[in-house]
Amino acid sequence: MMKGNFEPKIIGFFCKWCTSAAADLAGTSRKKYPANVIPIRFFCSSRIDPQHILQAFRNGADGVLIGGCHFGDCHYQNGNYKTARRVALLHKLLEGMGIDKRRLRLEWISAAEGEKFTKVIKEFTDEIKKLGSIQGKN
Amino acid sequence: MKRIGVFICHCGINIAKTVDVEALTEEIKKYPGVVHAENYKYMCSDPGQNLVVDAIKKQKLDAVVVAACSPTLHENTFRNTSERGGLNRYVCEMANVREQCSWVHDDKAIGTTKAAHIIKSIIEKVKYDEALEPILVDVTRRALVVGGGIAGIQAALDIANAGIETILVERSPSIGGHMIQLSETFPTLDCSQCIMTPKMVEVAQHDKIKLLTYSEIEEISGSVGNFKVKVRRKSPFVDWEKCNGCGECDLACPVSTDNEFECHLATQKAIYRPFPQAVPNRFTISKLGQPPCRIACPAGVNAQGYIALIRAGKYKEALELEREANPFASVCGRVCNHPCESDCVRGEVEEPIAIASLKRYVADVGSYPLEQKKPTGEKIAVVGSGPGGLSCAYFLAKMNYRVTVYEAENVAGGMLVLGIPEFRLPRNAIQADIDYIKSFGVEIKTGVRVGETMSLDDLQKNHRAVFIATGAYEEMKLNIDGEDLRGVLHCISFLEKVNKGEKITLGKKVAVIGGGNAAVDAARVAKRLGSDVTILYRRSRREMPANSWEVDEAEREGVKIEFLVAPTKIIGTNRMQEIECIRMELGAPDASGRRRPIPIEGSEFRIPVDNIIVAISQKPQIDWLEPAFERTKWGTLVVDPDTLETKVKGVYAGGDVVTGPATIIEAVAAGKKAAEVIDAHIRGVPVVHKQYKKGRPEPEDLKRIQKVLRAEMPKLDVNKRSKFDEVELGFEEEVAKKEAERCLNCAICCECLQCETVCEPKAIAHDLEDKIEEYDVGALVVATGFDLYDAERLKEYGYGTVQDVVTSLQFERLLSASGPTAGELKRPSDGRVPKRIVFIQCAGSRDKENHLEYCSKICCMYTAKHALLFKHRVHDGEPIIFYIDVRTSGKGYEEFYNRVTDEGTLYIRGKVSKVYQDNGRIVVLGADTLSGKKVEVDADMVVLAPAMVPTEGNEEFVRKLKIQCDAKGFLTEAHPKLRPVESQTMGIFLAGAAQGPKDIPEVVAQASGAASKAIAILSQDKISFEPTVAGVDEDLCSGCSICVGVCPYNARELDKEKMVVKVTEALCQGCGSCSAACPSGAAQQKNLVDKQIEQMVVTVLEEK
Repeated sequence: MMKGNFEPKIIGFFCKWCTSAAADLAGTSRKKYPANVIPIRFFCSSRIDPQHILQAFRNGADGVLIGGCHFGDCHYQNGNYKTARRVALLHKLLEGMGIDKRRLRLEWISAAEGEKFTKVIKEFTDEIKKLGSIQGKN
Repeated sequence: MKRIGVFICHCGINIAKTVDVEALTEEIKKYPGVVHAENYKYMCSDPGQNLVVDAIKKQKLDAVVVAACSPTLHENTFRNTSERGGLNRYVCEMANVREQCSWVHDDKAIGTTKAAHIIKSIIEKVKYDEALEPILVDVTRRALVVGGGIAGIQAALDIANAGIETILVERSPSIGGHMIQLSETFPTLDCSQCIMTPKMVEVAQHDKIKLLTYSEIEEISGSVGNFKVKVRRKSPFVDWEKCNGCGECDLACPVSTDNEFECHLATQKAIYRPFPQAVPNRFTISKLGQPPCRIACPAGVNAQGYIALIRAGKYKEALELEREANPFASVCGRVCNHPCESDCVRGEVEEPIAIASLKRYVADVGSYPLEQKKPTGEKIAVVGSGPGGLSCAYFLAKMNYRVTVYEAENVAGGMLVLGIPEFRLPRNAIQADIDYIKSFGVEIKTGVRVGETMSLDDLQKNHRAVFIATGAYEEMKLNIDGEDLRGVLHCISFLEKVNKGEKITLGKKVAVIGGGNAAVDAARVAKRLGSDVTILYRRSRREMPANSWEVDEAEREGVKIEFLVAPTKIIGTNRMQEIECIRMELGAPDASGRRRPIPIEGSEFRIPVDNIIVAISQKPQIDWLEPAFERTKWGTLVVDPDTLETKVKGVYAGGDVVTGPATIIEAVAAGKKAAEVIDAHIRGVPVVHKQYKKGRPEPEDLKRIQKVLRAEMPKLDVNKRSKFDEVELGFEEEVAKKEAERCLNCAICCECLQCETVCEPKAIAHDLEDKIEEYDVGALVVATGFDLYDAERLKEYGYGTVQDVVTSLQFERLLSASGPTAGELKRPSDGRVPKRIVFIQCAGSRDKENHLEYCSKICCMYTAKHALLFKHRVHDGEPIIFYIDVRTSGKGYEEFYNRVTDEGTLYIRGKVSKVYQDNGRIVVLGADTLSGKKVEVDADMVVLAPAMVPTEGNEEFVRKLKIQCDAKGFLTEAHPKLRPVESQTMGIFLAGAAQGPKDIPEVVAQASGAASKAIAILSQDKISFEPTVAGVDEDLCSGCSICVGVCPYNARELDKEKMVVKVTEALCQGCGSCSAACPSGAAQQKNLVDKQIEQMVVTVLEEK
């Protein structure tokens, strides 16, 4: 596959209170960003089981983006800390599985950061484009 | 399989523009499980919703997906719609194809594809959605309002008037907030106090309001309907049940401190009521702990207290307070080594307060006739009448014990009388203190040597306890050749003889060996006896243990000191003639931290002297005690450090006999401690050693203090010191008072207890401690208010350096009839009436580069009001206002502004660049941006309008409540337009300036809004919660309890019998972190189970 034409498939796991709200704000502000990320909305980023992430890769996701609240802002007190720990561990495991850990990205994007949301989507899509298809890599 | 209906909204062209809704509908129709799909222009409209209802009924739908806007907006709408169609509301889901799809993409093909993915993933979710019922929980019908400003007051009154019990928590001692500080309010100019105080009184008298002032929220748990709030009731050190607000204490208190209510323009007493109309009308004591001087004193003498009383001219009371902790006021005022002064905070400014000299002043002038008391309690024996023994006797006698002091010498006082020469400590000064001790019924038997005249056994038989304080009299020897030659004297016996008036003849040249206080005393005595005196000390001046001021005095009197010299032998036949010494150098520090002297080989030299006086320390003489009393290797007595009890039960010991030669105040402290322990042991109660918190000003605050040098002690002319007259002459009253003025009142309240003596209802309670109270409430209103931006950060405007530059709130106080100037406008520096005032708006606001970006909203209006009130007070006054823009949006505001300009206020559009003082005039430099010219104005006063900022500590508070604040620290509302009074946490509402700058009418309106939201919750018996909580599949649960650890709400608990985890659904908030943590898949969040997520992931990744 030519890298120039490659449109990666990316799953966005977003918490309802911050990152999904930031995505809504980006929409309300009519920001434009690539359509590669398909959002799935959770109550809290800490609901995301590492298995869901692995399953996404298994089913052909070229990247997974997790968005939660900034530290100290979690609607459920400390869910984002749990997410941070889980992702850190998973990053180590991914390397062992031969998956570039850059394909899994964790970002704290608050409800007020529509701009940041847009930026992250653009950056991440670009990065995954550069990394190429996960199947090509395998 | 479920029969699913999908409804795609055009949202006008908002969705339809980038999503081909027709094509999408056709595609979705073919998706497995979908039995019905249609699109409509506005699905949220009435006809749109009816399409859904009709389809549910006609198509017998089991689940509904609405592809439209964000679920934040219309999830509730469509779930209600589904219910109208007869479906459970939780089998209706929304696919967000507007905010997260059509609005962010331009290409229709791409938008349509993404929309299809989103919709399909939601179809997969809804396939497994269960019908759920909301969780119902009982509501605690009680509200708690935080903050007693106008916002909190209004909210509390509104809720209480709805018949709901309300707790109002306020951090300061009175409610009223900033509004009660204002003079008049714009645009109607009604007096703030007049409209505010009735409301405050209404709060206090409302039978549904519980008012908790001087209280803070400590902790909060639970959730809407059932919060548990821990409130810290800070101790006001006054029993508010008893205090009647009479204010006698205010008059009696000798400590003045900064007045926060008057914005630092006035002072208040350490016991205060923020303002006369305070609600509740009660007094509070500002107490930071104990001052460093008091903590530094081994006996805990309350120096800050008696210094405050000296300032007030209450010398008798001052002396009583001194004697409370130490009976030797007269003695210690003269010869104490005063560790208090070393820790005195004033020393950080320039020099410590002359605490000891002030103490002496009080002892000299404050004496009062003594009442002879006769104690009646148990008998106690004290052996030794030095400061330790007599202190112990004194404190015991005060506790009604009958104490007999046995003294071996023919005079009482121990080392005070025998060791310290009269020119430092006159005999009548000692006698004054001993007389005072005796007035408590202490009997002193002199000439009785316990161990000889009578045995310790006899004492023990006749007394409940014995305290040994026989001091350290046995003199240490040099242990060098020639020490027993005639002419070699030992210090204490030498001083003793002199003090007893025995005749002593010294030779022409005398050498004193040693560097302690006794050595210096001996040298000064020898000098007075006519000899040429040299002190030989083996280390350098820095290491000398003697008080430096005594060393200085000795040198002034002509005593020479040779440092780094040690004697090696004394030479002579029969009578000494010479002393051989060796030079020393300093090596590494020893155990005492002082550098160890090392002899320099071959540096021996001889000094011809007639006498030497050996003054190299003493040790206790305790041969008379039986072996049962354990000794240390230094020959001191062993005691339990906590109780001072020796190895023999009922016999205690303290002072030099335990510590070796030490200070008077340490001996006093030991005597005091022994008395407390003996009393506790006799009464059979535990011994309590209290730990005190140190209270002192912040180092930052010391920078503002003007330097004033310490009062110098007047001394006897050096040429007149041939006799034994006292060298230090004592302070004059004026000097003492001025010195006492220097005291910084470190702990604010000095515990002089003057308030106690005048308080008729006996309400003062200096020992009162904070209390934690717990309240169950259903809803909270947060109204924590605002502060002004720290004007000192606006350096260019001269605040803090130019005295007549004030903040707007200070100006309000200067205008207020109840303010520090009683409503007459006078400037702070000299009390003159200002003729020209420059007002600077936007002081910190609207300054993105340097300070704060936002507009503080109220400043334009109150500055206009200030200008008008200034004109009203000073008819020929010239108000000049520098502004960026004048913002007057509000009812009657523009009209008010017009009135202000009509009455003669000059508005200059532009910023001020600098305010400075030049030869008494205040110069304001600025720009007039309309004419493009620089402006220089002379002013009598400058008033700043600092930005409004959230109240101090707001961020920490917000964290406690688990609500949110924005980057500026203002509380965040759930929605800026639609839910402006709700926080993002259900059941916690926001009111007032804590949420953002606003004026009084807005604050009151918002408070009523918050109150009505709270009432809406509290008027229900039960409250419903989202049922999307996490459950447990008991068949799968192994009881590993990992989920218990990750749950932030304690909603999960292990059932140890069944070894499965149980969930308290009312506590579960539905974050789902347990589901992610559960290794067996037993913990599943309802309607977001693993299976759903898996299917959604797979669907999203499928190629179209």
